[in-house]
Amino acid sequence: MALVEFADFSFKYLGADSLALKRITLTIDEGEYVVITGPSGCGKTTFCRAINALVPQFHRGYVAGNVYTDGKNTRENEVATFASVAGLVFQNPENQLVTLDVEKEIAFGPENLGVAPNEIRRRVEELIELLDLEELREKHPHEMSGGEQQRVAIAATLALKPKVLVADEPTSNLDPQSAETILEIISHLNKRGMAVVLVEHRLDLVAQDASRIVLMNKGRIVADGDPREILAMDLCEEIGVGVPKATQVYKRLRTRGVELGTVPLTGVELAELVQEATSR
Amino acid sequence: MIILEDVHYSYDGVYTALRGISLQIDDGERLAVIGANGAGKTTMMKHMNGLLRPQKGRVILDGQDTKYMSVAEIARAVGLVFQNPDHQLFLDSVKKEVEFGLRNLGFTESEAEQKRQKTMVNLGLEGFTERSPFTLSGGERKRVALASVLSTEPRFLALDEPTIGQDAHQKSLLAQMLTEMNKRGRTVAVVTHDIEFVIENFPRTIAMADGQIIADGSTSMVLSNDEVIERCALALPQMTLAARALRNVFPEVGQRLTLLSELEETIMGILGGA
Amino acid sequence: MHRLDPRSKLVLSIVCASVSMMFMDIIPLLMVFICLLPMIAAAKSLGRWATSMKGLGALLVFVLVFNTLLSPMEHPFSYSLSLAIRLVALMTSFSLFFLTVQPDQLSQALIQMRVKFEFAFAMSMAMRYVPTLGQEAYAIMDAQRARGVELDKGNLIKRIRNIIPIIVPLIIVSIRRALSIAESMESRGFGANENRTYMEMLRFKKRDWAVVLASLLMLSLTIYVRFFAGLPGWMLWGLPF
Repeated sequence: MALVEFADFSFKYLGADSLALKRITLTIDEGEYVVITGPSGCGKTTFCRAINALVPQFHRGYVAGNVYTDGKNTRENEVATFASVAGLVFQNPENQLVTLDVEKEIAFGPENLGVAPNEIRRRVEELIELLDLEELREKHPHEMSGGEQQRVAIAATLALKPKVLVADEPTSNLDPQSAETILEIISHLNKRGMAVVLVEHRLDLVAQDASRIVLMNKGRIVADGDPREILAMDLCEEIGVGVPKATQVYKRLRTRGVELGTVPLTGVELAELVQEATSR
Repeated sequence: MIILEDVHYSYDGVYTALRGISLQIDDGERLAVIGANGAGKTTMMKHMNGLLRPQKGRVILDGQDTKYMSVAEIARAVGLVFQNPDHQLFLDSVKKEVEFGLRNLGFTESEAEQKRQKTMVNLGLEGFTERSPFTLSGGERKRVALASVLSTEPRFLALDEPTIGQDAHQKSLLAQMLTEMNKRGRTVAVVTHDIEFVIENFPRTIAMADGQIIADGSTSMVLSNDEVIERCALALPQMTLAARALRNVFPEVGQRLTLLSELEETIMGILGGA
Repeated sequence: MHRLDPRSKLVLSIVCASVSMMFMDIIPLLMVFICLLPMIAAAKSLGRWATSMKGLGALLVFVLVFNTLLSPMEHPFSYSLSLAIRLVALMTSFSLFFLTVQPDQLSQALIQMRVKFEFAFAMSMAMRYVPTLGQEAYAIMDAQRARGVELDKGNLIKRIRNIIPIIVPLIIVSIRRALSIAESMESRGFGANENRTYMEMLRFKKRDWAVVLASLLMLSLTIYVRFFAGLPGWMLWGLPF
């Protein structure tokens, strides 16, 4: 059974002119690292929220089709049902920290679900260690940097022991170093077995870690597959997706008759391919 | 156009944000300001339009010390666009929003109307004239905020982190617009973390760290400086990494390579020769 | 002082406040006040208490002056003075609670006193976001001033009008923020279960019982002395004017 299954799912927000999601069908299995990308307004954000039932339970509107997360239908279950299955991390770190210190924040989720106090305490300590939050223990959220806040937000989400981490542009508001740290954490979690769904514009940062890229445009899925294959497609430029620079160079060389073989995702890979090409 | 002379500034007399900033921006320049969080970039920008006043040192705008000028007066020449458009939008139509600055700075009805229309056309906002800004999407609201600052046609336009959350297409539109404005004589400065955006669009870069300017010059020179890379907490762009990796094997690869098109040509050269 | 359960501190504060209210004469009120000070000191909050009392200063002067002038009592100034001292004692009693109880302790205390979780949490969230809101307000002021809005000029009417470009964005931004916060909370199961658990529960210790007992005893004693036994003559001394 797939972890997340979209079955011909469509959604339109109340008062909107058009559908935000049009007949989405796809599955996500355990352990995958799926990057969702596409131009602004393509439906990526709505997609994330459809995984844990925020759409359609919290954001009401017109719904068609179904989404099954961990086997449960999101149209028939409350958001809270999915709290321990899909952990959502959002773009603005400040709006995810609702308590006055780190311990309470991490405890917030499990407390809501009635987990036993000593189990909560155990999880809090475990996560503080995992995400290196010891120094932040007593800090007020307002005193933390964006990167620190986002780390705490991730810890707070992990406290519910979700099977999939759904992150909607988690690094957009962060400086480059914090962004790198957060993405490393996410990659590390994936390597330990957690499924990840990540929405990101800046593919330069995440293409190498992804096991799969899904391209969306105007509410539809227009491509879905291996990152290198997808990014090599001209479709990316047509819809306005930010293809990694190294891949762009590869494609431009290709139009000039130079074929480097594999599709590079990073500058270093590109350099290696050029090297190989000259030694042939 | 604008000169900062040894500007010092501390918040509440406790936190020193600027320790002796000196720089000169001439008319028609196009530059980027980079630095880690807390380096003082935004504080410096706020000195340029008078929101903050130097505690030591001077800010000189078009030859005049800004000490005796009010923020509103300076706003005629310097337009500062902040990161969050929702911090500005409060009127019930895009039209009124774009007019707002014009009214505040005392333009006549007809002048205001003409400038407003021109700006809205330039930014593709005519379709939204009577719409409430609150019903627009994030990207559209950003354009409205930008339009409201541009309508007064300030000769110096400064933008604080304009690329956050924008997709590739929006970024390239923004870059195009800024470059065109600059070609027609406007001085443009951008505070940003987005190194790729800087490399592709800004010939001059000012790097800040700990309240001081640590480098100021051509972008390719500033961004190849190891100290800058370290102290500004920069993530090396992929093109630079590619160039460095290539240089290890092909020493003829140029030192200052950072543009995508440059790298493309270099690779063509390498492979053509092989 | 800080390690006491907030609920026992609440009892203590209320008792102190009640005791303050019971007397009308200078000496007993001064005695109450003098008993309160060491408690504040034990909480190492004298500095903050002094600052909040400073704020009270204007009100105290007002009370003194107006009561002296308008009171029909025989010795108006003496009476006003006792009123002023009573006010200070009352405020100090409540300071005893608010200066020594942290927001989340207060929240937890309320929850354990059977206030609905949503209400107690709304209160602590409000406090958590106060600095954020403040920062947002400053950012908005900067953004509008950069467009030529002059916040510190003009007559009263103009200044009030100039609040609009600040208030409207602030409200809108706050609403957007609230929705965003709600999404995060829902995603973490907020409101799911009637049986919400708490990682840290407040528990009464021996010293808490001691404090509650002592307070109640104090209260009974004072009631007895004030209403039944009567105050000794020297306690009723007042200034002759």
